[in-house]
Amino acid sequence: MEFVIPFVLAGLAVLLAWVAPGLMARQKRFRRAPRAALVAWQAVSVGGILAALAAAPAALPLLLDGDDPIMQAELVVLALLVSTAVLARLLWAGHRVGTRLRRIRSDHRELVDIIATHDRDRVRILQHPTPTAYCIPGRQSRVVLSQGVLDALPEDQLDAVVAHEDAHLRSRHDLLLEFFTVVHEAVPRPLPSDAALFEVRLLVEALADRAAVRRSGELATARALLTLAGSRAPEAALGAGTTAPVRLRLLADGPPPTVLSATAYAWATLAFTLPLILLVLAWT
Amino acid sequence: MPHSTSAPRLGDLERVVMEHLWEAATAAGAGFGGATVREVHDRFSGEREIAYTTIMTVLDRLAKKDLVTRERDGRAWRYFPADTREALTAQTMRRTLDDMEVTDRRAALLHFLDGATSDELDDLKAALAEIESRAGSRRRP
Repeated sequence: MEFVIPFVLAGLAVLLAWVAPGLMARQKRFRRAPRAALVAWQAVSVGGILAALAAAPAALPLLLDGDDPIMQAELVVLALLVSTAVLARLLWAGHRVGTRLRRIRSDHRELVDIIATHDRDRVRILQHPTPTAYCIPGRQSRVVLSQGVLDALPEDQLDAVVAHEDAHLRSRHDLLLEFFTVVHEAVPRPLPSDAALFEVRLLVEALADRAAVRRSGELATARALLTLAGSRAPEAALGAGTTAPVRLRLLADGPPPTVLSATAYAWATLAFTLPLILLVLAWT
Repeated sequence: MPHSTSAPRLGDLERVVMEHLWEAATAAGAGFGGATVREVHDRFSGEREIAYTTIMTVLDRLAKKDLVTRERDGRAWRYFPADTREALTAQTMRRTLDDMEVTDRRAALLHFLDGATSDELDDLKAALAEIESRAGSRRRP
């Protein structure tokens, strides 16, 4: 029975790293429970990594049953090499993505600190008529607003926008996005799916919208979304579709049924623990 | 961050020096001949204790960031703002929205909204109408 476990783990790695993200990106109803859905996405990614790391070590007890000590040593080395390669690929992607993002953020922060007017603590106002609002995450975080957005939005809607950005910064959504960007980059081409990254990004926005609703109500949040969506030129919207219609639809649909969150959490638990259980089984 | 090194203070100075250069350039009009480190230093001598070498460092950093340009004038450098504040702001806005590699941009800076196409606007309005009518009916009873 144990001899299948390494293969199951390898299969599970493929499943969690490649098949599951594609399927999950299609389960749009889970967007109504963004927090639970994000936990599920993380669990699946971590589960995939664990399975990929564990496949070779799980094969060891099996291979070591033979009598040839030289052969055994070679197998141990081989298994270690496979796991190390997986880990090295991840760390290397993490290093590259992290360096790139930190560089963009700190360059941008320094620039904004010079050219923008300073409002409260970490709020910066760019003197420009195009309405825009964003945050620069990191240890020295900033919320950046344009004069255009101040002019376009009444106070309650502006509060909603700032609450949205504050939620990103406070809950460190940047780390979440960074993690998924790293996984996306570490998974060998051409398999990583852009749909997965789009979905995660959308969920993060939906989660921040919730914070905006808590501060300013759903009406002000929805109106802010519409005003800002309408004021930006269409060509600025890159890629396949934008998040605005989905997010406003989510606001209109209201809070999710509990069963959705429960399903997402159950799936998360399964994806995370299955590789560990399999590894333990292989060694007992 | 009270315990941090000179970095935030330098950033603060960069802004003040840049603002000074912008003001000087605006005041002098088209014939602005730039400012030397000495001139910038003199400008601040009354209000803050800033070392001459610090001003030199700040201007050097600003030059590295392409925010100022410089011309040789005898043994000194004359510094000019590379562009007006408005032009730099417009450039920055454009760059954050369009120029960066998409995946990196979206993970590095979190925008409130990534815009919408004209087709999507109708969907948006329909969803808003739903929320408005719900908010209205909640208030009425």
